[in-house]
Amino acid sequence: MEFVRPLQAERLRLGLRNLYILPTRFGWLWLAAMLMLQMVGIQMRSNGPLLLSDLMLGLFLLALHLTHFNLQGVELAVGDPLPGFAGASLAYPLLLRIPARSEGLLLRFPAADPLPLPVLQRGEHRLMVPWIPRHRGLQPPGILRIQTTAPLGLFICWTRWQPPVPQLVYPARREGPVRLVVEAASEPLAREADPAPGAAGSDHWWDLQPHRPEDGVSRLAWKLVAQGRGRFSKAFRAPAQRQPLLAPDPAVPFERALEHLSERICRLHAQGSAYGLVLPRERIPPGQGKAQRDRALAALAECN
Amino acid sequence: MLRRRPDPATTARFAAAARFQWAALLALGLCLLGLTPNGLLPLLTIGLGVLTLLKLLEARRLEERRLVALLQLVSAGLLAAQLPSLATSLLQLATAVLALAGLLALELGAGLAWSVLLRRSLQVLAAGLPLALVLFLLVPRLDPFTNLPLSGGAAAVTGLSDQLDPGSIASLAEVDAPAARVSFANGVPPPPGGYWRVLVHDRFDGRSWLRSTPPTEQGQAGEGMTAAVAPPLNPSVPQGQADQLWVASPGRQQAVPWGGSGQPLGADLALQPNGELLHRGPRQLRRVYGIAASSLRPAWQVHPPGQTDLQLPPGVNPRLEALGASWLALPSAQQRLNAARAWYRSQGFSYTLQPGTLPERAPLDAFLFERRRGFCGHFASSFTALMRAADVPARVVSGYRGGRWVEAVGGQGYLDLRQSDAHAWSEVWLPGSGWVAVDPSRWVSTPEGATRPRRIRWGPFDWLQSQWWGLDLAWTRLWIGFDQRSQASLLQRMFGPLLPWLGLIVLLAVVLTLGLGLALLVVLQRRSLGDPSRRRLEQLLRQLHRHGLEPQAGETLAGFALRLEQRWPDLGPELRQLVSAYQALRFAPPGRSLQGRGELGRQCRALGRRIQRLPR
Repeated sequence: MEFVRPLQAERLRLGLRNLYILPTRFGWLWLAAMLMLQMVGIQMRSNGPLLLSDLMLGLFLLALHLTHFNLQGVELAVGDPLPGFAGASLAYPLLLRIPARSEGLLLRFPAADPLPLPVLQRGEHRLMVPWIPRHRGLQPPGILRIQTTAPLGLFICWTRWQPPVPQLVYPARREGPVRLVVEAASEPLAREADPAPGAAGSDHWWDLQPHRPEDGVSRLAWKLVAQGRGRFSKAFRAPAQRQPLLAPDPAVPFERALEHLSERICRLHAQGSAYGLVLPRERIPPGQGKAQRDRALAALAECN
Repeated sequence: MLRRRPDPATTARFAAAARFQWAALLALGLCLLGLTPNGLLPLLTIGLGVLTLLKLLEARRLEERRLVALLQLVSAGLLAAQLPSLATSLLQLATAVLALAGLLALELGAGLAWSVLLRRSLQVLAAGLPLALVLFLLVPRLDPFTNLPLSGGAAAVTGLSDQLDPGSIASLAEVDAPAARVSFANGVPPPPGGYWRVLVHDRFDGRSWLRSTPPTEQGQAGEGMTAAVAPPLNPSVPQGQADQLWVASPGRQQAVPWGGSGQPLGADLALQPNGELLHRGPRQLRRVYGIAASSLRPAWQVHPPGQTDLQLPPGVNPRLEALGASWLALPSAQQRLNAARAWYRSQGFSYTLQPGTLPERAPLDAFLFERRRGFCGHFASSFTALMRAADVPARVVSGYRGGRWVEAVGGQGYLDLRQSDAHAWSEVWLPGSGWVAVDPSRWVSTPEGATRPRRIRWGPFDWLQSQWWGLDLAWTRLWIGFDQRSQASLLQRMFGPLLPWLGLIVLLAVVLTLGLGLALLVVLQRRSLGDPSRRRLEQLLRQLHRHGLEPQAGETLAGFALRLEQRWPDLGPELRQLVSAYQALRFAPPGRSLQGRGELGRQCRALGRRIQRLPR
């Protein structure tokens, strides 16, 4: 069924030109059983099998139309997609206008759970079709397959549609280190090993300073040394009163760093904390609340 | 073997379908009980039934459930070929409806009520039926591909016997089991006391009578059933136009009852030269056949006698032989027959069902000259032997006599023959007349009613049973009677000169009925949609409309009810209750109105009945 070229339009009205129908495997079996009963009826000169096989043929022909009618005239349009996180199931909003009762509809994006709709009465229906985005950014949900085999499962009628409206996808939420830039500071290497503010004497650190011999090797940032980025000492200062500016950790790949930021932003939002975001081409001043979170996540989603 | 634990979500999804499929299997199982496993097709059908059960037990996925429904339909079709009676046909229909409902439930999920699914199944069936009928009636049928029998075999149920030895029977047991049913096209009952012949016993060993016709195998013409002696069946008379439609109960004989005159119809029938009618269908199933009226004299009646018809072992019954020989002086066979009749009437014979056994030596002498008590077999046996002794060709015939005419309620009457109607009589060859039936049992002095076994009982159950059989016979005439010839005749009558265009006609009819089926489905679905409470109210409003009462613009239900109450004060309490129930139902939140809907339905029906009785 994937051989059918997907349709690309903002609104789609299903009809003879864009619906496809073929017997299912069960449909072919049904025909074989019908032929067998016909032969038994002829051989036995018996009306029972003959009428039953005729009835099966009648139902087969009827099912051809009934299955097609389930999708005939259905209008599809895209609603306003809400952003979501990559790697998680997202709901893609669709508007279905059903001209008459439709049965057994199944909507499915690639690699996502199908959305079964046993019975849809005439009228408009708002649906949320699940899909799983793999990448951040403005992502199209892929090719939607709309199909039905109702009422008897003898035929499958389907179409493929590529909804043109992309959905904003935030980076996936992944726990990990982020770089915390001190407010108004321009130190590019500030980072933390743990999201929780640390206390002196522990492994929790807040900032980096050029290494001095009196700092001792225990405060040396060995990872940066290993990476050949110079010798820096970890500074253990409590940043509790500061409003952190979050930035991607330079020590991890950029995409992974964005995922860490995504998780951190959500967590800080849940805690009601204020935070800002520093990205290569964008800076969001510290703030809090849903709008701040959405702005920050959207910046992460669209960051290049 | 480890059994996969069913996934609860899948189980819930297919719960409705599973219920229908188990119910379909139950109907199928009941139908299978009537099947005797002694042929390829019965064994195949039973095997398929078992396979369906196993598949249903292990079905988890959608495809497996669908396969179960298809297996059920195929099993029902195979059963329909072997068990076409009314009861089994109803069970097969139930299987088909339930299997379809199961298929629908698979597609529509578990959210719908079983009554909705069942109704939808019936709707789909009704929509497919016009097209099926067009194909069934108009598409010409093919001849069978092969003569290989698909079912058959021996059977062992009560019935007439090849051997007739009344002397060995001390007491004749009455068996009231059904033997055959016959319906007449004109609906007129036959004259009472008619003879329905089955077996002809022409070989006599001095004590018992045997048949010359050898038993034949299923599906093969027996000896003596060759083209030379088996008259060709009349191909111009379709079975659907039979004047008599017979349904013979299963029995161990291939010979089936008939009246002896007319033209047997159907390729399964073979008429023997001695007048036996053999049915080549499976003997363990009921045999259905038709007889067309014919003005021609039956061939068997004028088929000349052979040496067997005069065979009489000398010296076995010497007194009988002497008596018969004493009539040799009479010049004609008719006079010898008259002499025998006079002799029987003068000897004080009596009819009894407990005659006791006759001695091994000269048994018929003992009966004729000492005991003088016996049943039909004794009289037919002794009289036939006497005729042979008098050089008159004769033979014993066994079959049924009389029967009970049943007036089926709402249908055509039929003649019900039971095993207790079994009878034996003689046939003698009279030159110029051919084989003539003679019943010596009627010469005995006992009253008519006592000359043969009487019915044991006729209670309410028998009445119900006879009515059911009447329906079954009507079904048989309608359903089984429609065969290849009937179809050809129907097509000829319907289309006449247009018959060469049958292909185009069928195509047009298919398109039309397909459209009709789809339209029917749309209408039925639309009717079943909408608010059920409002639909019930609309029904009531339609009834009131017939009395010239209808709601006015802007009128509330309460106001309309008040107006009705002013016209019919007696209806006041019911009307107020109805208004209250309807308003309560309207106010109820969704999902909490089911009980109230039932109450409203009851009130609407009760009120509707009262309104129906009101004068207009």
